Amino acid sequence: MPAWLDDFLWTYQNLVYALGINGLLALSMYVVLAVGQLSLGQAAFMGLGAYSSALMTLKLGLPFAAVLPLSVVVPMVFALAVGGPTLRLAGVYLAIATIGMGEVLRAVYLNVDLFGGALGLSGIPERATAPLIYGLLGLAVLALWLIGRSGIGRAMEAMREDETAAEVMGVPVRRYKMGALLASATLAGLAGCLSAHVSSFIGPNEYGFEPAVTILSYALLGGIGTPLAPVVGAWVLTLLPELLRGVSDIRLVLNGVIIVLAVLFLPNGLLAVRMKRIGARTAA
Amino acid sequence: MIPLLDLSGLTRRYAGLVAVDGVDMQVMAGGVHAVIGPNGAGKTTLFNLVSGLVPPSAGRIRFVGQDVTGLAADRRAALGLARTFQNIRVFAAMTVLENVLTGLHARLAVGLPGVVLRLPRFRAEERRAVARARAALDLVGLADKAGQRAQALSYGDQRRLEIARAMAPEPPLVLLDEPAAGMNPAETEALATLVRRLSEFGATVLLVEHDMGFVMDISDTVTVLNFGKRIYEGTPQAVRQEPAVIEAYLGHKVAARLAAGAKAGVRGAG
Repeated sequence: MPAWLDDFLWTYQNLVYALGINGLLALSMYVVLAVGQLSLGQAAFMGLGAYSSALMTLKLGLPFAAVLPLSVVVPMVFALAVGGPTLRLAGVYLAIATIGMGEVLRAVYLNVDLFGGALGLSGIPERATAPLIYGLLGLAVLALWLIGRSGIGRAMEAMREDETAAEVMGVPVRRYKMGALLASATLAGLAGCLSAHVSSFIGPNEYGFEPAVTILSYALLGGIGTPLAPVVGAWVLTLLPELLRGVSDIRLVLNGVIIVLAVLFLPNGLLAVRMKRIGARTAA
Repeated sequence: MIPLLDLSGLTRRYAGLVAVDGVDMQVMAGGVHAVIGPNGAGKTTLFNLVSGLVPPSAGRIRFVGQDVTGLAADRRAALGLARTFQNIRVFAAMTVLENVLTGLHARLAVGLPGVVLRLPRFRAEERRAVARARAALDLVGLADKAGQRAQALSYGDQRRLEIARAMAPEPPLVLLDEPAAGMNPAETEALATLVRRLSEFGATVLLVEHDMGFVMDISDTVTVLNFGKRIYEGTPQAVRQEPAVIEAYLGHKVAARLAAGAKAGVRGAG
């Protein structure tokens, strides 16, 4: 590795990690929005992945090769428990239930000794690496891209446009919604495990309502036309605070203004392209 | 011979209203079966019950000899029950071809692993689906518009697209919910020709329609609903003569006067 690249990575190590992990979180938002559902539980799923994996490493002494795949189990169980009753209902019930789940979990982390209370868990060994994070992000984008370009992606878009019509066309909407929520929990759980194992410390406030909205804004800014779009949104919103360091007093204000402008003037996101799937080519 | 669709005692209650009230109805394979009735007679609710969008309060639905009363709409679609909507519901941002491909969703068998790994059978299935979708577009006369966005089509063409999307999986039964609504006389005539051709595609047609000329023209059997109840069923010719049907549409007084007038006419001629 050339010296300058080594230097760069050393200086910006945390930013490099954050870009990859936030990319995974953006995808976990994307898979739910892609079937026309709104979940605000991505931060909570991330927290479940982070806490469960940190405990497996710290208390059980499991090797990271086992901890990483196991970190998706608890988020998936919670996704089944929350999605089972709420995905049958139309409207905002999933969003409300997932917000509630996040707040309940935050209270549990704060008040149960096992989770370290307000101090959180510290001394988590740094096991995740940048190549691992970006490898998983690349695989996730690729898999979602291939799905998006298939008939399944077409059915997902149909659900987004008109769920009733999609169902009558034979799209198993309940199964797809649950599948999307499980995929979302998996991606967020992995992101949580990776973030816990690069930052050595996790605390209850990292997974509350505010990060949930930040994750949503990744997809709002980037768009959901392709899986790459929300990742770009995440990267812009992760880099922006760094670029605005010079004007740190009004950093949050500028950040907010940019999101509002994007929603107003780019309703389909920065990358408003449709998936190039079979039969999608338009001819006038 | 078992009926293709067999409704027995089908009932749907809403708070304070019985939209469909103990309807018994059989649709035999082949031909065109129309359901008519005044506004609020329960026709659309009946369609929503049959396609599985609304659960019945009581009664049974059998389709191709199988009890589908408890099946979700997508499972019924997979069994070969297709439909269109009264208020057009095409997927506006998709192309015409994609819309029809979506109609074939229940016929796609390759699962997630095959899709992600792009197995040869995934590609073969996609090619077959496109061929079937194009055949369905041919049937309704939209083949040259396959690459257009659905939202760019004219009203009449969007209705045709809905029919193509429903017909693509070659369903044994297709439900058309007011297919002639909002069409001009020329479009309605073209639609009548198309509906008759659907049976060549192997489909039995069950339709709800307000345009009586259209119904009388193309139907083999007509079922009349009023206030959620089946009040008559027969050939179009028989329905026209039936006093109960005339009363449902025109009210008791007019029906009585017409009946009296008819008798007087007969006497006068004699």
